Amino acid sequence: MKIGLFIPCYVDAVYPDVGVACYKLLKHLGLDVIYPMGQTCCGQPMANAGFEKEAVGLAEKFEDMFAGFDYVVAPSVSCVAFMRLNYPRLLKGKHECKAAEKAMDIVEFLHDVVKVKGPLGRFPYKVSLHNSCHGVRELGLSSPSENTGPRFNKIKDLLSLVEGIEVVEPDHADECCGFGGMFSIEETGVSRRMGEKKLQRHIATGASYITGADCSCLMHLAGVGAKDGSKPIGFKHVVEILASGL
Amino acid sequence: MSTSHSNAADKFLKNRKYADWHDDTFWSVRQKRDRMAASLPEWERLRQAAAEIKDHTLSHLGDYLEQFADAAEKNGVKVHWAADADEFNSIVYDILSSHGVQKMVKSKSMLTEECRMNPYLESKGIEIVETDLGERIIQLKGQAPSHIVMPAIHLSHDDVGELFEKELCTEKGNHDPTYLTYQARLSLRDEFLTADAGMTGANFGIAETGDIVVCTNEGNADMSTSCPRLHIAAMGIEKVIPDYDALAVFHRLLARSATGQPTTVFTSHFRKARPGGEMHIVLVDNGRSEWLADSDHRKTLRCMRCGSCMNTCPVYRNSGGYSYSYFIPGPLGVNLGMLRDPKAYSGNISACTLCLSCQSTCPVKIDLGDQIYKWRQKLDSFGTANKEKKLICKGMEVIFDHPAIYNAATGELHLVNHVPDAILNCGLNPWAAGHKMMKFPKKPFHKLIKEVADPDDIKKS
Amino acid sequence: MSAKEDILSRCRRNAGPEVKRPSLEGLDPLTFADPLEKFKSTSVEMSCRVIDVPEGKNLNDAVKEAFQDAKTICTNIPGIDCATSNPDTVASVTELNHTDVGVVPGMLGVAENGCIWVPQTMKEKAVCFISENLAIVLPRQNVVSNMHEAYRRIEFNDYGYGAFISGPSKTADIAQVLVTGAQAARTLTVFLI
Repeated sequence: MKIGLFIPCYVDAVYPDVGVACYKLLKHLGLDVIYPMGQTCCGQPMANAGFEKEAVGLAEKFEDMFAGFDYVVAPSVSCVAFMRLNYPRLLKGKHECKAAEKAMDIVEFLHDVVKVKGPLGRFPYKVSLHNSCHGVRELGLSSPSENTGPRFNKIKDLLSLVEGIEVVEPDHADECCGFGGMFSIEETGVSRRMGEKKLQRHIATGASYITGADCSCLMHLAGVGAKDGSKPIGFKHVVEILASGL
Repeated sequence: MSTSHSNAADKFLKNRKYADWHDDTFWSVRQKRDRMAASLPEWERLRQAAAEIKDHTLSHLGDYLEQFADAAEKNGVKVHWAADADEFNSIVYDILSSHGVQKMVKSKSMLTEECRMNPYLESKGIEIVETDLGERIIQLKGQAPSHIVMPAIHLSHDDVGELFEKELCTEKGNHDPTYLTYQARLSLRDEFLTADAGMTGANFGIAETGDIVVCTNEGNADMSTSCPRLHIAAMGIEKVIPDYDALAVFHRLLARSATGQPTTVFTSHFRKARPGGEMHIVLVDNGRSEWLADSDHRKTLRCMRCGSCMNTCPVYRNSGGYSYSYFIPGPLGVNLGMLRDPKAYSGNISACTLCLSCQSTCPVKIDLGDQIYKWRQKLDSFGTANKEKKLICKGMEVIFDHPAIYNAATGELHLVNHVPDAILNCGLNPWAAGHKMMKFPKKPFHKLIKEVADPDDIKKS
Repeated sequence: MSAKEDILSRCRRNAGPEVKRPSLEGLDPLTFADPLEKFKSTSVEMSCRVIDVPEGKNLNDAVKEAFQDAKTICTNIPGIDCATSNPDTVASVTELNHTDVGVVPGMLGVAENGCIWVPQTMKEKAVCFISENLAIVLPRQNVVSNMHEAYRRIEFNDYGYGAFISGPSKTADIAQVLVTGAQAARTLTVFLI
């Protein structure tokens, strides 16, 4: 099983440690991981802002880079969701589209494909789980709170394999944090207010860290928190916790 | 960067206490809806059936409308067809004037809002009295609804109390909702009994039987049609459904989705005029038959106006109904406004984080968030795309499309850490308006990986 | 072309690909082992008063007992002698205003939501709404589990009007505070016979 590691632009630039944790975790599990150089962005920021045309070239580049892998794994639910749901349409009649359908967020990959049973790292802290919208409603990482039927949460399942951890969820467990890419700079007032409320709900759990499968939400919450000077709380991507101490 | 919605939302957020109440109130409506949904094991199957029945009906809309109109006419009801808002208004006026109507009571109808019927009829000298309490309040206040199911949600009981002191001569300072509701009841009783005509909207029109079905909690649609002899029902053409089997599906979803009740108090079926009276149905197109042709946006015609997409929408809850420039707010209103006039209503398109809880909640599974994404792609062609945003996206494309530029840029991002806050937060950096600027690491991942990974695991480009 | 033809032809032209009507066979809606008991409990949740009229007991006595302070009672149900007016014979609806109690027949109860099918069986249906208090007389064997069953069973007569009614008129339009007694009856009593 050949795995291509995709580290989206903002993770590359702002959260390199998350990328390193991904690599280490996959290696720890004995998997064959390759990081192709020359990666940039999936095109989601432009597309969600209304310029998906600008994403076509990036989609083609992605396809060329990752066509030969069995899976493409990335630590970012919204990038993966964007590629998997939109590349086939964007590339229709222009370029072969095979890699996008093999793209998986690292949580779903570990949960559904590798079926990790643990034990993983050690993280003796209380963490508040941030369920990112596109993970919940596009990738099905957890059951949306508005839907009926069986409740599940793949992130929680994985975190339960970590020694010493206590996982809690905030009130309004899968409410949007207000990031939304371009939304956060077009609708600064609402975005910030949503972020403040989300952050307060995480803090109210008494957790030491907020964790989630999408760095962009965490980046937003961290930026909002630092701006309004609220009680400090740590931020960790799920893979950093899964890989901690490995 | 700002939009008409974001500017209005900032004003809404200034009144922090009310804004928080608004958010909490609609969240509790969402939770009530969740409890109702969870009480039916078949809930998701019901939603799926409802969506498919609507799609089926829309794909045969001409046939079902004809069947509906024939059935209604057999019941002695006069059926009128209005191509647009103007035609609707003049049909209603003609009916009223030919009966010498001076005052008409009406129950809630978003269609009459859409057609701006009240101001038209008032300009012709006809008095219109809204009888849904929320609608009556905003009518007396001279305002538009801020939510389609709870139209006066933007007013506190003190606001209503002061309004009633002035308009209904209620006791000074008594702003108790129970008292105020009772005073409105007394005043509306007089209106019902002295009106010459009653108007209702239509939640559903049943093709097989010709029934107009109206759902209310107050009983005001029934009062409006039990007192005057003349009943006019205004119905959008997309409200027709095949039969009672279909109605059962929608009925079970509507109130549970809208307010978290197992049913509205009244589900009234109007099939014939009351003895000695007359019943008219005005079927209104006003763009709907054209929207049918738009495969990207046709699904909005499934809508039964429950408002659940607004209640669940975190942007609506944190920005209020009046921050949207179309008369219907929230995810539904963003989409309907764009169908109505994309140039006029593009300013609402920003009001979405694409969290998608709207479409996950919608009882007829309209892909509201996905449609907003699609509208965003079209803004440039309407000439309503934000220039600055376009430039940013173009710029991103150039950087991301050229790894050499990208690597050079990201490799040196840590230098931003040394830029003084005063410059980063100077207002030219839109991120800094709501956030403290992040600290960039010394090395981006694509450099760091070379230090930690087995060289065989790195593939040169 | 008339507006009607115009609209219909646009609907047909723009209809898009045909979508088949779904079968509701797999819907498997919730049913109750004892629909009557569920109907009673739902009705109470919907702020109704439910009165079991034991077999052999006179409905007139039950109405009198339940509404001891009522001065005006309007009904056309035979045998309710305490009635002071009749919705079939009043000269105008205005006469019904301030009626203390309207008593009307209900045909079918629905357990899942407390709805009662009340077809118009009187000349002035206003009695169902304008009365301060509404009482519906429902045969206890006529209760079904859900709306699917209900919509297969309801019937219309020549009046051409009917309503499902569940609980008293209510509103939360002032600051989301729930108030019973908006524009129609302020209380609902169900007599199960």
